[in-house]
Amino acid sequence: MRLSDVEIERLRQKLRFRVGYEISFACPDIDDLVQETLKRFLNASQADKLRTPEATAAFVNGICRNVIFEYRRRLYRDMPMPEIVPEPPVKEMPESERFELRQALDEAMKQLSQRDRMVLRYFYVEERSTEEVLELMGLTLENFRVVLCRAKERFRQIYSRSVQYRAASGH
Amino acid sequence: MENTFHTDTVARERTIARYLARTLGGSASEEFENHYLCCDGCFEEMRAAELLIWGLGQPAIESVRAGDVTVIRFTGSAELTSSSSELSALVQMMDTRGDTKVLIDLQRVSRIDSSGLGKLMQCYTHAVRNAGVLKLLQPTPQVKRVLSLTKIDSVVPTFEDEAVALQSFQ
Repeated sequence: MRLSDVEIERLRQKLRFRVGYEISFACPDIDDLVQETLKRFLNASQADKLRTPEATAAFVNGICRNVIFEYRRRLYRDMPMPEIVPEPPVKEMPESERFELRQALDEAMKQLSQRDRMVLRYFYVEERSTEEVLELMGLTLENFRVVLCRAKERFRQIYSRSVQYRAASGH
Repeated sequence: MENTFHTDTVARERTIARYLARTLGGSASEEFENHYLCCDGCFEEMRAAELLIWGLGQPAIESVRAGDVTVIRFTGSAELTSSSSELSALVQMMDTRGDTKVLIDLQRVSRIDSSGLGKLMQCYTHAVRNAGVLKLLQPTPQVKRVLSLTKIDSVVPTFEDEAVALQSFQ
C-alpha cells in the first residue's frame, strides 16, 4: 500500500485533530506524536503488514492510541500514572488567528436567522433529542434537515477558508 | 455505522455533536474515529460542526465598564423576543450583577416583542429598586418605533449618542 503526498498530508491533519482531541490542542508535543504515528504507519504499510486496505483507519487509530499511551507513560515515569487522566485544557489559539476566526464566525452567525440559531443551539449545544427540537420549534423533520444543511454549508466554507489561511500563513 | 453516516444527516450530526462534547462513549468514539480517519467528507463535517458549536457557544452579550457605568452590548445580531437566547442572557446578566448604572446598547437588536419589552421593563424596575439607573442606547428604527408606541421611551431614557448617554449618568 502506497500513499501519495496529498493523502499523507490529509492523514496528518486528521491525526493532528485525533491527538489534540486526546491530549489537548495546546500540548507542545502534538506534532511529534503525529509524526511518530505517521512514521510507524508508513513503516508498517511498506513492510506489507497491512493486509486489508479497509482496515487502514482502524490500524492507524490503533497506532495513534499506542503512541499516546507511551507518551503518557513517559510523562508519568517518575510518578504513578493517575487512574483518571485529567481533562485536557481548553483549546488555545494565537490571538491573531482567533480574531480572524471570530470575524468569520460573526459573519456566518449573522446570516443565520434567530429561529435557525435556536434550532442549532438546541441540537448541538444543549444536545436535545431531535423529537424535542422538532416539537419545541414546530418543525417537520424535513425543515430540520434543511436548517442543518444550510448552517453546515456556511460553516464548512469558513472551515475551508481558515485551513487555507493557516496554510498560507504557515500555521 | 458507515452506511447510516452517509445516508442519515441527522444521525451523523448527532454522533459528531456527541463526539465533540465527549459524551459519545468509548466504543462509539473509537468507531467514529476509525471512520473519519478514512473519510475526508466526515472529517470536514466534524471540523465545520466544531466551528458551528464554537460560534453558537459564544456569549451573546458582553458588558464593559465606562467609568462607573456598565454598558451592555450584544455581540452579534440579536432579537429580544420570547424564544431568543439573547433575551435570557440579558435578564440573567441583570439579575446576577449588582450594577447601579446600566446602559443597554440596542444597536444590534433587530426586533423586540411583548416579552422583550416586559423583560426590559423588569430590568428597569430591578435597577430602580436597587437605587440604580437604566438607560437605552441607539435603538434601531424598528425597536425605536415599538418603544415609542408603548411609551416606554418616556419612562426609560433613550439616547442616540454614547458619549451623551454616558455623560447623563454624572
